[in-house]
Amino acid sequence: MSFEGPAARALDTAVSRGADYADIRFENVRSERIEARNGVVATLSDTSSRGYGVRALVDGAWGFAASSDLSDAGIDRAASRAVAIARAGAAIARNRMGHAPAKTYTDRFATPVKRDPHDVPLGERVRLLLDAEKALHVSPKVSVGRAWMDLWTTDKYFYSTIGSKIEQRLSQTGSGIEAMAVGEGDVQTRTFPGDIGLYKAGGWEIIEQAQLAANAQRIGEEAVALLSAPQCPSGTFDIILGGSQVSLQIHESCGHPAELDRVMGWEANFSGVSFLEIEQLGRLKYGSDIVTIVIDNTLPEGLATVGYDDEGTKSTVSDIIRNGMLVGYEMSNDTARAIGRESNACVRAQSWEFVPMIRMCNLNLLPGDVPFENLFDDVKDGIYMESNRSWSIDDHRLNFQFGCEMAWEIKNGKRGRMLKNPTYSGMTPQFWNSCDAIADQDSWVAWGTPNCGKGEPIQTGRTAQCASPARFRNVLVGAGYRG
Amino acid sequence: MDSAERETLARKVLAFSDADQTEVLVWSANSALTRFTHNMVHQNVADADVSVRVRAIVGKRTGVAITNVLDDAALKDLASRAIEMARLAPEDPELPDLSAGGEAAAPEGAYVEQTAAAAPEARAQMCDAIFKTAEAHDYWCAGYVTTSSHGVTIVNSSGARASFDGTDSGVNVKMTADDSTGFAEGYDADVTRLDAHAIGARSAEKAKASARPRSVDPGEWTVILEPAAFGELFAYLAGHFSAQNFDEGSSFLSDGLDKLYLGENVTISDDYAHPLNPGMPFDYEGYPTKRLTLVEGGVAKNVVTDNYWAHKLNRENTGHGLPAPNAYGPQASHLVVAPGSKPLAQLIAETPRGLLITRFWYIRPVDQKKAVVTGMTRDGTFLIENGEITGGVRNMRFNQSIIEALKRCEFANALHRTGGYSYSLIVPAVKIDGFAFSSGTEF
Repeated sequence: MSFEGPAARALDTAVSRGADYADIRFENVRSERIEARNGVVATLSDTSSRGYGVRALVDGAWGFAASSDLSDAGIDRAASRAVAIARAGAAIARNRMGHAPAKTYTDRFATPVKRDPHDVPLGERVRLLLDAEKALHVSPKVSVGRAWMDLWTTDKYFYSTIGSKIEQRLSQTGSGIEAMAVGEGDVQTRTFPGDIGLYKAGGWEIIEQAQLAANAQRIGEEAVALLSAPQCPSGTFDIILGGSQVSLQIHESCGHPAELDRVMGWEANFSGVSFLEIEQLGRLKYGSDIVTIVIDNTLPEGLATVGYDDEGTKSTVSDIIRNGMLVGYEMSNDTARAIGRESNACVRAQSWEFVPMIRMCNLNLLPGDVPFENLFDDVKDGIYMESNRSWSIDDHRLNFQFGCEMAWEIKNGKRGRMLKNPTYSGMTPQFWNSCDAIADQDSWVAWGTPNCGKGEPIQTGRTAQCASPARFRNVLVGAGYRG
Repeated sequence: MDSAERETLARKVLAFSDADQTEVLVWSANSALTRFTHNMVHQNVADADVSVRVRAIVGKRTGVAITNVLDDAALKDLASRAIEMARLAPEDPELPDLSAGGEAAAPEGAYVEQTAAAAPEARAQMCDAIFKTAEAHDYWCAGYVTTSSHGVTIVNSSGARASFDGTDSGVNVKMTADDSTGFAEGYDADVTRLDAHAIGARSAEKAKASARPRSVDPGEWTVILEPAAFGELFAYLAGHFSAQNFDEGSSFLSDGLDKLYLGENVTISDDYAHPLNPGMPFDYEGYPTKRLTLVEGGVAKNVVTDNYWAHKLNRENTGHGLPAPNAYGPQASHLVVAPGSKPLAQLIAETPRGLLITRFWYIRPVDQKKAVVTGMTRDGTFLIENGEITGGVRNMRFNQSIIEALKRCEFANALHRTGGYSYSLIVPAVKIDGFAFSSGTEF
């Protein structure tokens, strides 16, 4: 499908109404969700949504209007509304911060897909989840079993007044299982893979990677075992975090604070600001020498991988943290220009009705050189934690506290008994500077986060933080259960 | 799209379905938000959409399809897709028939034309009033002004027919000074009742009063939570009133109703018709929503149900369903905490040593059953000494059971509407003894 005609009409309307620059992004979105819950299919839905968003720049102020009305009148109304909104903002502006992008692209991009999920019969998809969910119920104590699958396909068409024409087909899939056990006055939950399932760019092959049925019995058994497991102790310990928990740690303590819009105060009233201030660029020792974190929006299977972002900027690879030093940010055109850099294509909108904004995209902790099992070797008295259960960090992104679903004690380099309710806390730079080992490529996973909230109106972003397990020294454990 | 147009659309789609039972839900929304930072608008947006959702039931099998493409071909395809999915779905032996609904009148004041028609210039002028307050103090402000209208129409093959139109508006301001911040908010279905200047001024007063913050030791403190802080905390209790969580053992009420769980001064209701937050009088299955007392004098009295959970637990349908079927269960989405008898100023005056907290941030559950949550203070935290506010303090992290906090609390006598992206509540300020902080910050 081509939207060139409606696009030309919208852009002409915007310019005739006074826009200095305009772009329009059409999207056809299809979302399918299946969720099995306690033996029945609790959700079986197929959602399609089609619409467009117009950005207009008037005298340095942006306006954005979105609509699902594809009639000529609807296109004219939305384009005019975007210009009127921009003009209203310009009328009270104290300074000018908006600028048109400089580069023009004509291109197509499609997520590599080995098997289209829609080629898999619906009955087969449902059966996979029902079988996995059933296997979670290893005991009457498993009060709730869940198994779910999401299939998302987005066709995007981007046009701008400087001549960009970009077509993209993005395919993303994910699935997971969860068991909630109730008993002995307690409630315990186990989730797999990771803490939210396995979400990646790709097709049915991503569902197969998750291996839900093969792991369901173990997950059910672990949820029940946690009910009678001893409480994780409080104190200062060396800790090893599983890969999905390292992924969330990157997300909260590096991904969000490195968003340049936050740094510049654009999220101050809601998501907050950032301790990674511009004056710290090239000066702050964020982490230890082995910590290198990069944005790679070209990564195969990365949940946030695209050809171009929603401002029409081509995807790139760039550094945020290099050998522990803060060297970069996630940027848009306007924010990059403000610090004398070029955008690194980190702008996304949830869907057609939302304004594009900076999102963390694929933000990856590069793997180390230690096999996973060897992370335990130098730990005399420590805790190994897996699968996030609770996450909280202050509005500068410094003081954090995370909880995990389960843990094991480590004694003299060996993994010991299972522990429940582990929490750990700290301050971001001290924590990352205490990282002294990162597991190697063999345990590096492109963990996707399909539910990242940011912005007002709030938008749900699909990000990824690729990571392997890592070790941290002298971390405060147990604050969540000590008060 | 008005309610008559939505109903015409819904009935057309209903006629396209030959499922055993069919429900059609039509949403329309038109919203705008002007967001600002550093005393200028940086994000100024609006969107409009209409979506149609079909739930088709074949025997005891269900399929759901949703679209916003409204031509006849797309709508016929929508009905066909829902039926096709239902035929491939496994049976749910406990699936009840669609309800026939009932009469449900919209509460007074739920829809205000001035809000629905608010222009970008009107929002800009409200922002400008806030900017001028910031500039007068040499502060900078960040926040938003928003206006919206929304409509919901539901019809089904059992005869349910329900329609609602509502509006909403909000102002949210964080004011930033050299070493302190302040926050204020306001929400109303009628945008003309929002005083943006006053909200901006209140946030500036908070920033000024919390300047040069000092550190205090973590540990157990007497706290007074203003409505924004208490609302953010209390929102994490909402799921416990769901019949689903109640039955499955994850609610703090799961040991049974008619038992004392909270302080005897705690009364909680769910009331869609409260004048501070008038909302939809029926649920997303078209069933009239009951105004319900959930906790009275600390004793659990009710949980909220939908058609499925009422049938499953042999309880009354209270009309709190989300679009069905779903994995989340029924939800209490119009919670009201009953006020106490004393003004907030008196609660402060009666506190020898404590903390006055404007707002919390990033609260997350730590322990589901015990309702232990963690989070941070932000944007205006103050030390109370000998009944007086003596200055700002640096922010701290807490780990606290909401249930235990509500066993040792005292409410102020005024109710306020407070909100976040996922909740809208009516609560008073509250004084809580023994609130547990675990660490601090340098700001």
